[in-house]
Amino acid sequence: MTKTISPPVAPSRPVARAAEPRRPWLSTRRRRQLMGMAMVSPALVVVTVFFLVPLVMTFWMSLHDWPLLGDHSFTGLANYRRAIHDTDWLHAIRFTLTYTVLITPILLVAGLAVAFLVHRGGRAARVFQSIFFLPVVIGFAAGAFLWLYLAQPGLGPLADLAARFGLAGRDTNWFATATSGLLVVTAMVVWKVTGMQMLLLLSGMQAIPGELTEAARIDGASRWKAFLHVTLPLLRPTLALVLVFSVAGSLLAFDQFYIMTAGGPSNGTITAVYQIYRTSFINFDLGYGAALSAILMVALAAVSAVQMLLLRNSDHS
Amino acid sequence: MRSTRLVAAAGALALLLAGCGGGGGDQKSAATDKPTGTATLWVRDSAKGFINLLSEQYNKTHEGKVKVTVVPSANFVQKFGTAAASGSGPDIASIDLVYLPYFASKGVLDDLTPVLDSLSWKNGLSPAHKKLAVFEGKTYALPFTAEASVTFYNKDLFKKAGLDPAKSPKNFAEMLADARAIRKLGPDYYGFTMAGQCGGCNIFEFAPHVWASGGKVLSDDGKSAAFDSSEVTDALTFYRQLWTEGLMPPSAKTDNGSVQPASFQSGKVGMVNLGAFFVQTLVADKKIDFGATPIVGKDGGSASFAGGDEIAVTKGAKNKAVAYDFVKWATSEEAQTILAKNAIVPVRTDLIDKIYAPLDPRYKVLGQAMAVGQTPYSVVENAIINDNNGPWSKLINQAVFGTGDVKSAQSAAQTAAQQIIDKG
Repeated sequence: MTKTISPPVAPSRPVARAAEPRRPWLSTRRRRQLMGMAMVSPALVVVTVFFLVPLVMTFWMSLHDWPLLGDHSFTGLANYRRAIHDTDWLHAIRFTLTYTVLITPILLVAGLAVAFLVHRGGRAARVFQSIFFLPVVIGFAAGAFLWLYLAQPGLGPLADLAARFGLAGRDTNWFATATSGLLVVTAMVVWKVTGMQMLLLLSGMQAIPGELTEAARIDGASRWKAFLHVTLPLLRPTLALVLVFSVAGSLLAFDQFYIMTAGGPSNGTITAVYQIYRTSFINFDLGYGAALSAILMVALAAVSAVQMLLLRNSDHS
Repeated sequence: MRSTRLVAAAGALALLLAGCGGGGGDQKSAATDKPTGTATLWVRDSAKGFINLLSEQYNKTHEGKVKVTVVPSANFVQKFGTAAASGSGPDIASIDLVYLPYFASKGVLDDLTPVLDSLSWKNGLSPAHKKLAVFEGKTYALPFTAEASVTFYNKDLFKKAGLDPAKSPKNFAEMLADARAIRKLGPDYYGFTMAGQCGGCNIFEFAPHVWASGGKVLSDDGKSAAFDSSEVTDALTFYRQLWTEGLMPPSAKTDNGSVQPASFQSGKVGMVNLGAFFVQTLVADKKIDFGATPIVGKDGGSASFAGGDEIAVTKGAKNKAVAYDFVKWATSEEAQTILAKNAIVPVRTDLIDKIYAPLDPRYKVLGQAMAVGQTPYSVVENAIINDNNGPWSKLINQAVFGTGDVKSAQSAAQTAAQQIIDKG
């Protein structure tokens, strides 16, 4: 994007302008503007049709009692009032937060560790980098199905491994309690997402001039100390970015639980998005589902805003 | 000038697209017209095995044609509901009978009362199907395919465990004793299995234990839940005992229905409650010598869930003439014989002994079970029963596998279910 520096003309003086020869309607500047508009418009159309319109419609629906089939009626904020007292919804929120708090540090540390290990020259590092990145290119649903099989009691290789190491019996059902189910899902997500985190952090690390670490090493800092006191502080903006990604992703978790635990046992692993899905497409209560979506969206925007704020502060401190 | 032309071109394109969207079937036909042209039919994927044979036969012998779309079972209600709401649904829909009251109550189906009355074999049609299709005195669908739940038992394991394979269990105590005997065969052998996290499976497989004991899970009009009745307590306690004594495999607790048939097929599980479709699977498998017997009550008695699909014409159907003609034909002897040959229980109780029972010794039990089978009637069936996270599913999971007691799980489920019913 090159900026065109326009000469400081004074449009408020029509007298001077009239003296100039008439410019062609399609001036270079105008053409550039039109060109810009034309290039942006497909994106604008997509955003409008697939984001802005549904957003407004969602909000509009959330103010109604709106079943999938049959008539709908305006109810004002009744859906929002209902959400505040809905124990199923509150339980789903609590579970989503638990999951986010559990998985975010694990992901961050794992991503950082792997990035630290592959952040060096050489063919071996590149090979491992690719290996760690491989799970990222598998779809989330496919990954979930894979792990569902791996952890199946009496059948999956993970159960076999655990039995060999004496951790659990061959027939132990890891999806039998909400806690162990959550742990298996967490393991799957860590396996799936760490590669992405690694790549982002790696690009952040590569942006740090090598001389800084070198200088620290010359001053006698160990590799670990140099990482801790030089690389890590300079990595803060990237870390914040990675955090925003992983927190937003975790708060919107759905498919991994839908596939691996089906919300069970006894509804112990139902996330916020899962509850919205159930409300809208199992109970056919689209209005209430829309209200829950709106609440989740506001919460997500708030969390991201706070994180962005932290990111900006760390940039200037 | 240029922009005007552009707008005109865009308009023409839009018209063209709208024309295509209608699938060329924009001219509507009424029920009484001559059945010509093509009608669209949606079925769930469990019908995959036979629906094309059926539509081919119809298309060959009739002037009108039907075009079949197979929709995944798990999403059928959502897909059909959304399509019906937006007016893009099919002309004919084959719907799981438990959802019939819901769709009928929402006014998306045509009133088929006169069609049913015109059939000479009306009285031979499955009573459960006929009951579920009625909403406020009118019939909104015709019976199409039937399914019934029975107890399958592995005769080889019965023999090995020293039990008489000709003598199937007649009450809870006998089932428990048989399960214990089979469990003793080895660490991998289990007496019984179930799908502990599947609402739809358990209304099909577990509820008959309650009915056979003389109880109910819902009132006949569907207006009140009976999850806290003593018959439900007895049946839950019976299953809980099967679980706590280790007579069920660990996978039972979290099975959403996909593991259970495979467990029995492996030949290491003594008994399981499943439907007619499973006979064909086991026969094709040729591995297990199995028997089928009615699902029993606490002190004897037996019951079954009468399941299957009903076939309905949608209110927004474009080709009603073919749609009406096809739904009538679907209940005829010609169509039902095709179903029977493909291991589907026919809905014609008057024809069971002629076209179905002779095909396999076990079919007689299934046919009889279907004819006397029950089906709960509720306009919110999906939310209270079939939803895998709904009150019914949660009740089974907590009462059979949970740490709390059966009674408190029942009263919690009862409250939750009644709330959904009252909300409508």
